[in-house]
Amino acid sequence: MRDLKVSFATRQGVVRAVDGLSFDVGPKEVLGIVGESGSGKSVAMYSILGLVRDANVEISGSVKFQGREILGLSDKEMQSVRGGEVGMIFQDPMTALTPVYTVGWQLVEQLRAHNDMTKQEARERARELLAEVGIPDPKSRLHHYPHEFSGGMRQRVVIAMALSCNPKLLIADEPTTALDVTTQAQILDLMERLQERHGSSIVIITHDMGVIAEIADRVIVMYAGRPAEIGPELDVVRSPRHPYTWGLLGAVPRADVKNRRLVTIPGNAVSPLAVPEGCAFAARCPHKMAICDERPPLRGAHQHLDACWLTDEQRLAIRSVATTRGES
Amino acid sequence: MSDDVLLRATDIVKSYSSRTKNLGQRTPNRAVNGVSLDIRRGETLGIVGESGCGKSTLARCIVQLLPVTSGSVQFNGVELTGLSRRQLRPHRRQMQLVFQDPYASLNPRRTVGDIVGDPMRINRVASHDDINDRVRDLFVTVGLDPNSLRRYPHEFSGGQRQRIGIARSLSLNPSLVVADEPVSALDVSVQAQVLNLMADLQERFNLTYLFIAHDLGVVRHVSDRVGVMYLGEIVELGDAEALYDTPLHPYTEALLSVVPELNDTDAPRRERILISGDVPDPSDRPSGCSFHPRCPVATEICTTQKPEFVELRPGRMVACHHPRNLDAAPLTVPPPTPPVA
Ligand SMILES: Nc1ncnc2c1ncn2[C@@H]1O[C@H](COP(=O)(O)OP(=O)(O)O)[C@@H](O)[C@H]1O
Ligand SMILES: Nc1ncnc2c1ncn2[C@@H]1O[C@H](COP(=O)(O)OP(=O)(O)O)[C@@H](O)[C@H]1O
Ligand code: SF4
Ligand SMILES: [Mg+2]
Ligand SMILES: [Mg+2]
Repeated sequence: MRDLKVSFATRQGVVRAVDGLSFDVGPKEVLGIVGESGSGKSVAMYSILGLVRDANVEISGSVKFQGREILGLSDKEMQSVRGGEVGMIFQDPMTALTPVYTVGWQLVEQLRAHNDMTKQEARERARELLAEVGIPDPKSRLHHYPHEFSGGMRQRVVIAMALSCNPKLLIADEPTTALDVTTQAQILDLMERLQERHGSSIVIITHDMGVIAEIADRVIVMYAGRPAEIGPELDVVRSPRHPYTWGLLGAVPRADVKNRRLVTIPGNAVSPLAVPEGCAFAARCPHKMAICDERPPLRGAHQHLDACWLTDEQRLAIRSVATTRGES
Repeated sequence: MSDDVLLRATDIVKSYSSRTKNLGQRTPNRAVNGVSLDIRRGETLGIVGESGCGKSTLARCIVQLLPVTSGSVQFNGVELTGLSRRQLRPHRRQMQLVFQDPYASLNPRRTVGDIVGDPMRINRVASHDDINDRVRDLFVTVGLDPNSLRRYPHEFSGGQRQRIGIARSLSLNPSLVVADEPVSALDVSVQAQVLNLMADLQERFNLTYLFIAHDLGVVRHVSDRVGVMYLGEIVELGDAEALYDTPLHPYTEALLSVVPELNDTDAPRRERILISGDVPDPSDRPSGCSFHPRCPVATEICTTQKPEFVELRPGRMVACHHPRNLDAAPLTVPPPTPPVA
């Protein structure tokens, strides 16, 4: 993805939902996109798949999937990408399921739309898929309707649908946000195992840094439609560089360590209608300088980039003060 | 009842008659199935558990918004169950509820100033002018601009709305605030603001909190003591740090093991204990220990005999035939946790 920009013309003005996002996803890589609500995570992923259905949307940039430009494909061409080489998992499993058909019927349709299969073969494959995602008694479950499954089981069905065409890339938008922590663990575990077995790449969108730390190889921290920081997961979590990432990590109350003082980011998320030209985070940043009225470039070393004007020396000084104050 | 206990709940049961699964037959759904707990003056008691385990029902029973099916709730030594609405009123004023959903819990057609002042008007505790002054004070107290009194709820962000709900809950000077998932709908940076605010208010007004959430990190952060709920029962209760460090109940242990961790240090990750399957329907409660079908260490006795809720370590209650980590759990009462700034 190169310099993706997505904006909506609304009555109140132009909403720059995504404002210059670039990244690569390697084979078998798990890329996490994290940010608070409204930061543009969903819009970014939906727009590359032609799923933003809004007459007032404007999309620019370039998205190449296996070398082929997919931004601006026709509906029909896009349909063969979606559910074919790219699978999708949503926060609400019912986005991907139809309430009026059995899951068996839906899986068979999906399989036959993208593969040359007889009904019989498709049925057999559907049963295998349900078994693979850990649904007990898959043969009889094929005859059940989505509402007859629990939330966690329904998400498994959606994963089975997504897997049905051996996708090279799986896009998961908050796949565990609606689930309880024990069910979330089951689903993350399943995604990890499937990813190993099928060798697909995953882009996972979440607001939960913990989920990122559990599953992602690399992470993008989004703020107001722009990437604040990009890097290998361990680097970003252990040596975050952007003040927004400091705040985001420091604000999480932890279950695994004795709690320290919670860091708060002052103010509220910036209005999407009024993202400043300079650093998007400037209005809430405790370290704002004069130069922050200019837009900071995304730069750094060793694959660890951030968009902030602070020098390394300044960051070091700020972080050591924070540490002695007991913040994370 | 000793003086430092503000509220004592004893064996609370709350059944809903669930809509018919087997046509015509009404199976009682015991959403809360015999919960006993003390809330001590000035503490924060956290209740954590997965959705549907009965947290909200328990909260509503405790503040007498829902009648209990059986059991007792004593507040300041007074038995509340069985009191008439009028008899309840002076006690209800002392206990206020803060709700999860800052959108649904504020009347969209009233100004936020009126919303915050309503409890004082309904209880006729002050004159019109005094109420207005107090509302302004409350706005300042919770970090809102007192010049926004005339605005409507939709003009505020989620975090600001939760501050409005908190201001309303404080208007009658309660001693107990029951907060049911007060930060669950908020983004993490806003959540931190509201949690810090609640800690400040507790100190300033000497509040006692019953704090309910499904987020294990949030509960650890705010609580002095924590109760873990599963299927309408408290399976473990104890000092927060001790409970998180050496969980005694297999459910607590599993729950803690699967919380996503930031792995920001080299300390090895807690080994994940995945518990299989889903939480059973409370109208179809398993025999013996309610957790036994999903428990990784269950044995024969767990399927037939309900484990008693007993104090296995000083200050640590647990209901399990095969408690975990007993060797690691301290035999003495831990020193009180220093207040977190
Ligand atoms: N159809 C639309 N018209 C106008 N604004 C939109 C539309 N869809 C999304 N937005 C705005 O774009 C921004 C990013 O939204 P989204 O990608 O859903 O955020 P996230 O997934 O990070 O929570 C938000 O400010 C949202 O209000
Ligand atoms: N008004 C009601 N009528 C019938 N059943 C209810 C009602 N409210 C809650 N329940 C049931 O009671 C159980 C506990 O619900 P609740 O107290 O809301 O749990 P929690 O707050 O932990 O998610 C659930 O099985 C739920 O379906
Ligand atoms: S009593 Fe048995 S089934 Fe219940 S939690 Fe303990 S070990 Fe598991
Ligand atoms: Mg989203
Ligand atoms: Mg609830």
